Amino acid sequence: MDPRDITRILFEDFRPQTIYLFYAVGYAAIAVFLYGTYTQIRKYRRGKPDAAWGELWARFLDMAKTMFTHRTLKRRDPAAGRMHSVIFFGFVLLFIGTSTITLEYDILAPLLGVRFWYGDFYLLFSLVMDVAGVGLIVGLIYMMYRRKWLKLPKLNYARPDRKPGDPDYDRTFYRREDWAFLWTLILIGITGFVLEAVRLVWLADRPAVWDFRWWSPVGAVLAHIMQVAGLTAEGAGALRPALWWFHGILALTFIAFIPFTKVKHIFTAAASLMFRNPMAGRVLPRIPEEQESAGFKTITDFTWKQLLNLDACTKCGRCHEACPANAIGAPLSPRDVILSLREFANKTLNASELPSEAELDVHGKGPDQILQETLWSCRTCLACVEICPVAVEHVPIIVQMRRKLVEEGEMEPILQKTLQTIHKSGNSFGESKRKRAAWTKALPFQIKDARKEPVDIVWFVGDYASFDPRNQKVTQAFARLMNKAGVDFGLLFEAEMNAGNDVRRVGEEGLYEVLATSNINTLKACEFKSIVTTDPHSFNTIRNEYRHFDGDFEIQHYTTLVKKLIEDGRLKIKKKVNYRVTFHDPCHLGRYNKGYDAPRDILNLLGCELVEMARNRDNSFCCGAGGGRIWIPDTPGLEKPSQNRMREAGAIEGLQVFVVSCPKDLTMFEDALKTSGFEGKFVVRELIELINECVEDGDPEACAPAA
Amino acid sequence: MKIMVAVKQVAALDEDFKIRDDGLDVEEDFLLYDLNEWDDFSLEEAMKIKESSDSPVEVVVVSVGPDRVDESLRKCLAKGADRAIRVWDDAMEGSDSITVGRILAAVAKKEDAGMVFAGVQSSDDANASTGISTAAHLDWPHAAVVAGLTYSPGSAKAVLSRELEGGLQQNVEIACPSVLTIQLGINKPRYASLRGIKQAAAKPIESLALSDLGLTAADVGAGRALSRVRRMYVPAKGRAEMIEGTPAAQVAKLVEIIKEFRGA
Ligand code: SF4
Ligand code: SF4
Repeated sequence: MDPRDITRILFEDFRPQTIYLFYAVGYAAIAVFLYGTYTQIRKYRRGKPDAAWGELWARFLDMAKTMFTHRTLKRRDPAAGRMHSVIFFGFVLLFIGTSTITLEYDILAPLLGVRFWYGDFYLLFSLVMDVAGVGLIVGLIYMMYRRKWLKLPKLNYARPDRKPGDPDYDRTFYRREDWAFLWTLILIGITGFVLEAVRLVWLADRPAVWDFRWWSPVGAVLAHIMQVAGLTAEGAGALRPALWWFHGILALTFIAFIPFTKVKHIFTAAASLMFRNPMAGRVLPRIPEEQESAGFKTITDFTWKQLLNLDACTKCGRCHEACPANAIGAPLSPRDVILSLREFANKTLNASELPSEAELDVHGKGPDQILQETLWSCRTCLACVEICPVAVEHVPIIVQMRRKLVEEGEMEPILQKTLQTIHKSGNSFGESKRKRAAWTKALPFQIKDARKEPVDIVWFVGDYASFDPRNQKVTQAFARLMNKAGVDFGLLFEAEMNAGNDVRRVGEEGLYEVLATSNINTLKACEFKSIVTTDPHSFNTIRNEYRHFDGDFEIQHYTTLVKKLIEDGRLKIKKKVNYRVTFHDPCHLGRYNKGYDAPRDILNLLGCELVEMARNRDNSFCCGAGGGRIWIPDTPGLEKPSQNRMREAGAIEGLQVFVVSCPKDLTMFEDALKTSGFEGKFVVRELIELINECVEDGDPEACAPAA
Repeated sequence: MKIMVAVKQVAALDEDFKIRDDGLDVEEDFLLYDLNEWDDFSLEEAMKIKESSDSPVEVVVVSVGPDRVDESLRKCLAKGADRAIRVWDDAMEGSDSITVGRILAAVAKKEDAGMVFAGVQSSDDANASTGISTAAHLDWPHAAVVAGLTYSPGSAKAVLSRELEGGLQQNVEIACPSVLTIQLGINKPRYASLRGIKQAAAKPIESLALSDLGLTAADVGAGRALSRVRRMYVPAKGRAEMIEGTPAAQVAKLVEIIKEFRGA
């Protein structure tokens, strides 16, 4: 047999008019697709420039890697990730397959007379297409099952920022769209197989077709079933055109609709991944000197990448599930911030003319506008950014919108007071600058003044560790540890100012600049090698953000330093403690700066038995203090995030110590321990206190966990 | 139409302050300066009137004081005041509130102000008389402790409510122009963002000297003041005693003390 006969004759038995008609429909679909793509790109181009443009090749490779491994999709939901990858690869293969046919039939053959789609290649092709088709259908069936029967809270589109009955409260349109998407795609797949089978039955007497039928295994099985059911060759031939058109029109409609529906995530998610900023939220954008007003007021204040982010969201709900504000019933879900803004952008930026400035305002109470309460509910914990599989960066958007609120004074009066206090006294406690180092008076030794003499390490203490009475004990303990280890360290005394991390995340950029510049100038005037801090908030901004204000310093969190001191034998563990402990990753140490291991290693060195909470490391659950929320009282009647966390810890059998390594955590959780009824069951301790207990014998401050 | 808002930069005490050697004031080193809290409210009231008015209104903040006062004036500019004027001459050192009122009245005349707002009092000296004396020097009517105000620029009268002792409220109609001293809580003062303050640094602060106001050194300063500080000091504290011991013993002691006080 001539291998050239082993192929599929396209448009077999079609009249020329029918073929023209098909091409007409095809071109129309492509035209619609192109037009839609054009409007979307026009929409993105209405945004401001973004720093993410550049290094395109490296970005592309990174994106391709993420996409082919499906790494981000498998996190915390491996089943969904695997099934999506089956759909993804099925779809990609089918797409490549269809393109291959086009390449030969419409380009190479008519222009150059080159043909390759026959013989062994054709047979292998058929097999691969069948496998891909099965993958696609299986994956889609799982997704239908997941939506219909798993009843996952994260797939519930009801919005926490609106009440039942409010317009677009449960985003009904999205639900319909999801199902339309699933059904369309699965029907395309199923009709493809049926079409394949019908062709086999129709041409069963042609050896070049029938003898090789098992290279299309699904089609072959179906064909046999059809024959058993009594379908004749003529019957199949009669059935074919209608089926063929149905499949074709469905597929072309699908293509035409890509830019207008959720299907566009094929492109937007990929692009979003490509332009991801690994430092998103960790480093907030500066306000350009020449820019008059701060923050985002209108949708055109967003950068093109942020507008793209809005379209990339697949409503997977992972951020919704991880968000501490959403967990306690606050009117914020990061998913809904993104979706509301997406709808808003589509409403305002898709037309050829931009509407008036007033209609572009994203702040307000309209269905797609963002409420102030929503923005103020965010703790900038970064849980959303961390888990988003398509690299949507929520936090910079939220902070930019807050900047506008701050500029207009739209904030809780108490927050306003705190900001003024920080401006006036350089700390959030409203204490005199002179009192910043008052805690050192209780120490039996003098701490050097880094402003007056050179030191190895400058200790940046931070507000909470300096002024909060409970935390001062920990601060003193750390001073004793450093002293004992013979570390050459010093303080900035009254020249230290609030580091500004949280001020910046509140959205008071001007104040942040004042604080950061002041600290940077102070530090630059000192002679030292590196900085250490016990405060993860200060740690983050000094480590990641000060460099953008001309302050490039080396800084470590104390956990890294202490671990090294113990390992080097400079701090001797005199006794081990065998407490059953759990560890709470502070957002700014863990998610922000990937400092997951040092504290755990130390716990291990101390002899503690570490039992992890379900939400640990990158999935740690914010204590609720971030983003300036420590200065804003929580809504009465709602559970606090810290209490929610206490319940999680309380479920650990025989837990003795809840270990934290952040001053704000100590304050938040000691409070929550009492209010959530776990007092007496276990205690909250700063890791420093445990270290101190093991290093210092007979330490009066030793931690005694509840019996 | 112009509303003049008289503001003051007040001093607050830092931790562990010391009294000056001459015993008349606190050592400069221990003073933290900021805009008087009441002034936030009087400026806000002026801004609200400006913003809701159909006819143009100019809000001019005026303060009597040395260079450092510019910082507070800048904050007012950041909140939206149209102009800021600082009046100073070394001869003004030691002026009392009546004298400052004379200076402010001269500014109001020069500016042809249609209304003058001031805070009820300043948080450092607490005389509560600068606004009133300004009215006296201008020979305008005044209302003190204004806690609510209805006024449209240019009209011949304003309706206001005043806070009186014992929770009483008084509604008053006053002829304009007049001087009003504004009470805390009359409105919600806006926030001056630090960027706003920085941007306001570019706006000029006008300065006026004695001669600009038709005054001479003899009209102002310590020499003209009718009151003067004789001594500033921290009074001896009352007796305080820590009750020590077990909770039971502490309670017993407490009961004893209470009985002693009641004379039982
Ligand atoms: S940063 Fe945290 S609190 Fe804010 S939206 Fe994201 S998950 Fe929620
Ligand atoms: S923003 Fe990201 S994590 Fe959140 S729902 Fe959308 S795709 Fe999922």
